[in-house]
Amino acid sequence: MTTVKFHHGMVTPLVALFVGVVGFPLAYAGYLSTTDYKLTSHGTPKMVGADNYVATFGDGAFWHAFGTTALYVGVAVGLEVLIGLAIALALQKQRWARDLTRSMLLAPMFITPIAVGLIFRFLLNDQLGAIPQALKTLGVDYDFFGPGNALYTLAFIDVWQWTPFMVLLLLAGLESIPREPLDAARVDGASGWYVLRRVTLPLLAPVLVVAILLRCLDAMKVFEYVFATTRGGPGTETETLQYFIYQTGIQFFRLGSASSMAFVVLLVVLSVIVVAFRRMERAKQS
Amino acid sequence: MRDSRTLLAFRVALLWAAGITVLFPVVWVALASVKTPEQLNDPFLLTFTPTFESWRNVLSSGILAAAGRSALVALVTVGLSVVVGSMGAYAIARYRAGGTATRFGMLAAQVLPPAVLVFPFLTMAYALRLNDTLIPVIFAHLSFVLPVVTWFLIGFFEAVPRSLEEQAQVDGFTRFQAFRLVVLPQVFPGIGAAAIFGFTLSWNDLFYGLILAPGKAAILPVAIAGFNTFRGVQIGSMSAAILIAVVPVVVASFFIQRRLVQGISGGAVKF
Repeated sequence: MTTVKFHHGMVTPLVALFVGVVGFPLAYAGYLSTTDYKLTSHGTPKMVGADNYVATFGDGAFWHAFGTTALYVGVAVGLEVLIGLAIALALQKQRWARDLTRSMLLAPMFITPIAVGLIFRFLLNDQLGAIPQALKTLGVDYDFFGPGNALYTLAFIDVWQWTPFMVLLLLAGLESIPREPLDAARVDGASGWYVLRRVTLPLLAPVLVVAILLRCLDAMKVFEYVFATTRGGPGTETETLQYFIYQTGIQFFRLGSASSMAFVVLLVVLSVIVVAFRRMERAKQS
Repeated sequence: MRDSRTLLAFRVALLWAAGITVLFPVVWVALASVKTPEQLNDPFLLTFTPTFESWRNVLSSGILAAAGRSALVALVTVGLSVVVGSMGAYAIARYRAGGTATRFGMLAAQVLPPAVLVFPFLTMAYALRLNDTLIPVIFAHLSFVLPVVTWFLIGFFEAVPRSLEEQAQVDGFTRFQAFRLVVLPQVFPGIGAAAIFGFTLSWNDLFYGLILAPGKAAILPVAIAGFNTFRGVQIGSMSAAILIAVVPVVVASFFIQRRLVQGISGGAVKF
């Protein structure tokens, strides 16, 4: 048996299955996005060309969901970077009960997101929740799911569950940094803050960029927390993209327009990836 | 060099705060699952006689059947992904089989928004009269578990020295035998980590399950979400159901955390 035959034989099942579960559905979604397919109507759907895309681009509610998602991702991932970096730095020096501490602090990222959403829904509930009650005894009255607050509460839930992911990647990055530049800086009498800003962070930058990118792309898909807590409310304040598309497709049965919206999101995701890769390439060259 | 005292104090305080923040919601849910509805009105009640009423309700409510369906979906998805993925990942890692396109496809599929793929799965399921069964859910879960598992394994295979299989072929093994009997055992720990991670991803998914099988074939996250809308809100029972969903994957995760970074980075970073 030749090498070529062997490696084709090995990779063919993978490619075939991949085309079946990703490639074909993706192409089919492309087709759906150019039809007026409705889940409720029988008979062949009509081709409408780019009509769905034109409608999506002119749809204020879609762009509202877009802005909501961008704000959510910005707040959540921003906090996750800051807190994650602090915890990773602290864990790196932790010696006592090292493995136990790490395992415990990383655990939230493995919990079913819908469960996390429901837990916080009741923990932060106006009447029954422990945290609002505790705040009330301190004289603070804060409605976590009220107007103006709900989106930040959702972002906080994201921070609770996904800061561990940041910690995991940044800790690995920190531990793979060579010791020499750090030691040299210290011998030269640099302060801890200076070493962090001028030596550690630049060396950590590649890992940091990848971690932020992965988190942003994942946070864009937020659905479970919205579904568990606010269902898009109050008003449409917490309608994120994935939830908005879900509503369009499942509650209003408009699969054609929902698919075109999903493709617009996909376009954004792809351009984010391309820009990020370009940046990284440029950083490597300079 | 040693840190100053303030820095040390700050570090310890930060880790304690993080630990309490992580544990508090989980402990609260565990307590809620053994409280009576009246006791639930007082969230800070810590001394009470535990009641297992909620657990009895949950165990007789079909949650275990939903957990069984979730486990079945996850096992089939992960089983297929590991068999097909390990062969493919080996060919990609060793022979660049499938070219850059295959490798990029595995990475890109991991960031694909589920909203893109879910409607094709739904219409196909309707066309084949498979809606509200586990089959479309398995296909949907394969769309993200297969690329992740393969991506993990490419990294693990690349870490195995080439000399091993060259020696095996000198000893008269065929290429496939060298793969199965010599290389594969080297990456067993990696395969285990990839399998557990893939299982977690499938077990935790709500979106596909909710759309493709919302009714009698509901998987565990869908069944748990049902506590939210059905028959008002039953916090006690819901808490017990949440613990059933959470405990297995969190315990399993303790075994793979060290290999996770290596997997996510495709073998580029070790932890």
